[in-house]
Amino acid sequence: MASADTCFHCALPIPANCDIRVEIGGEQRPVCCPGCKAVATLIRDAGLTRYYDSRDRPDPGAVRPAEDAGEWQVFDREDMLAAFSTRDGNTAEATIYVGGMYCAACSWLIDAALRKLPGIANADINPVTHRLRVAWDTSSTGLGRILATLADLGYKPQPLAPDSTERPERAEQRLALKRLLVASLGMMQVMMFAVALYSGEFQGIDADMERFLRLVSFIVTTPVVFYAARPFFTGAIRGLRARRPGMDVPVSIAIGIAYVASVYSTYTNGPDVWYDSVTMFVFFLTVARYLEMRARHRSVDRSAALASLLPNTATRLEDGQRRQVPVAQLAAGDIVLVRAGESFPADGAITAGRTSVDESMLTGESHSQEKSTGDTVVAGSVNLDGIVEMRVDVTGTDTTLGTIGRLSERARYARPAFVQLADRVASYIVVGILALAATVAVSWYLIDPERAFVITLSVLVVTCPCALALATPTAFAAAGSRLSDLHLLVTNGNAIETLSRATHIVFDKTGTLTRGMPEVVQTDAHDPEFTAQDCLQIAAALEVASTHPIARAFTRHESALTATNIEIRVGAGVEGIVDGRRWLLGKAGFVPGAAPAAADETATQVFLGTGGRIVATFTIADTLREDAANTLKNLEKMGYSLSLVSGDGEAPVARAAATLGISDARSSCTPDDKLSRINALQQQGEVVVMVGDGINDAPVLAGADVSIAPSHAASLAQSSADVLMLGDSLHPIVTLMQAARRTMRIVRQNLTWAIVYNVSAVPLAAAGFVPPWLAAIGMSTSSLVVVLNALRLSRIR
Amino acid sequence: MSILYLLIPLALLLLAGAVWAFFWAVGSGQFDDLDTPAVRVIMDDDERPPEDRTE
Repeated sequence: MASADTCFHCALPIPANCDIRVEIGGEQRPVCCPGCKAVATLIRDAGLTRYYDSRDRPDPGAVRPAEDAGEWQVFDREDMLAAFSTRDGNTAEATIYVGGMYCAACSWLIDAALRKLPGIANADINPVTHRLRVAWDTSSTGLGRILATLADLGYKPQPLAPDSTERPERAEQRLALKRLLVASLGMMQVMMFAVALYSGEFQGIDADMERFLRLVSFIVTTPVVFYAARPFFTGAIRGLRARRPGMDVPVSIAIGIAYVASVYSTYTNGPDVWYDSVTMFVFFLTVARYLEMRARHRSVDRSAALASLLPNTATRLEDGQRRQVPVAQLAAGDIVLVRAGESFPADGAITAGRTSVDESMLTGESHSQEKSTGDTVVAGSVNLDGIVEMRVDVTGTDTTLGTIGRLSERARYARPAFVQLADRVASYIVVGILALAATVAVSWYLIDPERAFVITLSVLVVTCPCALALATPTAFAAAGSRLSDLHLLVTNGNAIETLSRATHIVFDKTGTLTRGMPEVVQTDAHDPEFTAQDCLQIAAALEVASTHPIARAFTRHESALTATNIEIRVGAGVEGIVDGRRWLLGKAGFVPGAAPAAADETATQVFLGTGGRIVATFTIADTLREDAANTLKNLEKMGYSLSLVSGDGEAPVARAAATLGISDARSSCTPDDKLSRINALQQQGEVVVMVGDGINDAPVLAGADVSIAPSHAASLAQSSADVLMLGDSLHPIVTLMQAARRTMRIVRQNLTWAIVYNVSAVPLAAAGFVPPWLAAIGMSTSSLVVVLNALRLSRIR
Repeated sequence: MSILYLLIPLALLLLAGAVWAFFWAVGSGQFDDLDTPAVRVIMDDDERPPEDRTE
């Protein structure tokens, strides 16, 4: 599970000089920080350590405990409960989006932990949509306690308003499953009766028994036609109304006339019935539809994506009184208090206070911004170190954040749509099939009116594009499920097709090629009295209370020391007393005697000083991922051109590009710049893959032909991406590109086979050599060949 | 062979029962999550926290 140098709980690398352990399963397990230690201890003490045995390899950092364990008690209040749950007497039900869960073991852990709370009636968690539906008795447990339990386990819970909870996909999925079952059970039963009827034809059968078996087949086929095959009929009608007939039209005609003719034949004791052909036909088509739908539904939940960047509640000032209210209740003109570590709930301006703000998620700029009275702040950015009051100007979807969300929606819809092209081609084929069937019917009516109907039916069944329809979805489904085993989640059905044609890969820098997390890369101790280790410990003790991202680089080292009288100097550093001495930790101007070394934007220098002299210099940087260079080299070898676009400044981008050997690098890009860069490439005829993780990447991800986001990416970026990469490595991109090429090879084989089969079978059927049952068997065999061929993809490694 | 006149309708009844049971199972959400139950069986035994902890 976790190797020796990664955290047992969250799988992040354990910083050097850090030695924190937790006893689990009789062994001392290393963890990376006091927070992870707390969570691991909590899980152990609740008797839930099986979580560690059963979970998948965790995404590094995914289950890291939140550093600002918010005040969840506010959710126990009556108006909060009303806003986030539906009540029925003493029982309340709420839907909670659980951020940070990544595998089935997580859902077990959440379920097991919640059931230990008093009064929980039902907890139902869906690991795919990350939604938890919980029902509880309000007299014994509050919503706040439930949320606090989730937060204590290291997840990021977010209650959702009741109206947004039911996804239409679920109903669709259930209905499709029922239809599939009716079709498959019906098909099996009717086949059994058909075998009896066929052997009866050869060996002789009692006339009563034959009529009985036909009647029974009719009873079983009827629900298959009217229930399981219903989508084909409605689809055909919709297609005809829109004057764009799809494959549903000949399919419906074949099902319809075969069924009606069989019923007629059953009633009048005619020579033949075709119930077996009808049910087999419906079954194979329903399987194809079901696979297609499954692939379509494996997408990221959009509705929670935007909201998860905003806090759940805000502290509104009402006549000088502080009051926690749901963010949805904020309106323009409200004055809101934002503490250090909280994110801004809306766009607006600071009315009191001074702080530094982390806008990196929105702009890609990795340095924090100083803000004071009158400066504007945007929703979703994080208040790092001061307490400020802000005036709300714009809320909800009109904020900068909402605009970026809309921009990415639009870019997504403006894509070249292959689907539409396929539909147009399909209607020509359909018209062709119908014309052919009509010609065959008329010709045979003139030659031999008795056989005209049977032969026309055979032609319709043989021309059925079953194999054709299965060729692509089965290959995509097989590749998709294999890729998800390899920690690659394909959320858009077309992505694989486009990936196989890709020519150009564009990378974002921060968080994609780099770790996106500052680390202390170098410690220079200037004073013989203190070793580098001492200095780190002192710094970690001082930074304990700070929420600044730089502080995290220090607090991941556990300190045996404690600091007292800590004071945070906004935008400069911290100051405090350790071991009786007054220490300063911060920027060059804040610590006397500190002289910054050669200005280098790639790294931040932090100084530690006491008594007017400088004791240590820490170099903090966001380092490149270990496998970045290797992965990029492999991709180049496979023939892709590579580019780097980043919102970061020129020097760090140039340096990263030089280390990685990328010649085309652009710095200081806004989301618009990135998008226009991609559009320019597309106009040169390149098929562009974008790899990025920030909110500012969302429009670009949506605008690129295919987009890939690592799983730690902002949820907005995730929802714009076609492929999600789980895990902390870039290498899956290479696997993905290879798999895409291989999948399309299989799809081409399948299509070729299906077309060759159909084209060669049609003349035989038209000439009257193929009875309907043989046509149905031929169609099934050809479909089976296609499915088996697609299953070869499950051996990708 | 006339026993078939009894057995086949019986089979149809069973079939109807199976379809009804499946519809009920789908409706009650048993097919919504196919991953968690697989691991839940393995993990559900209660475990005692280590004895030596001090509180």
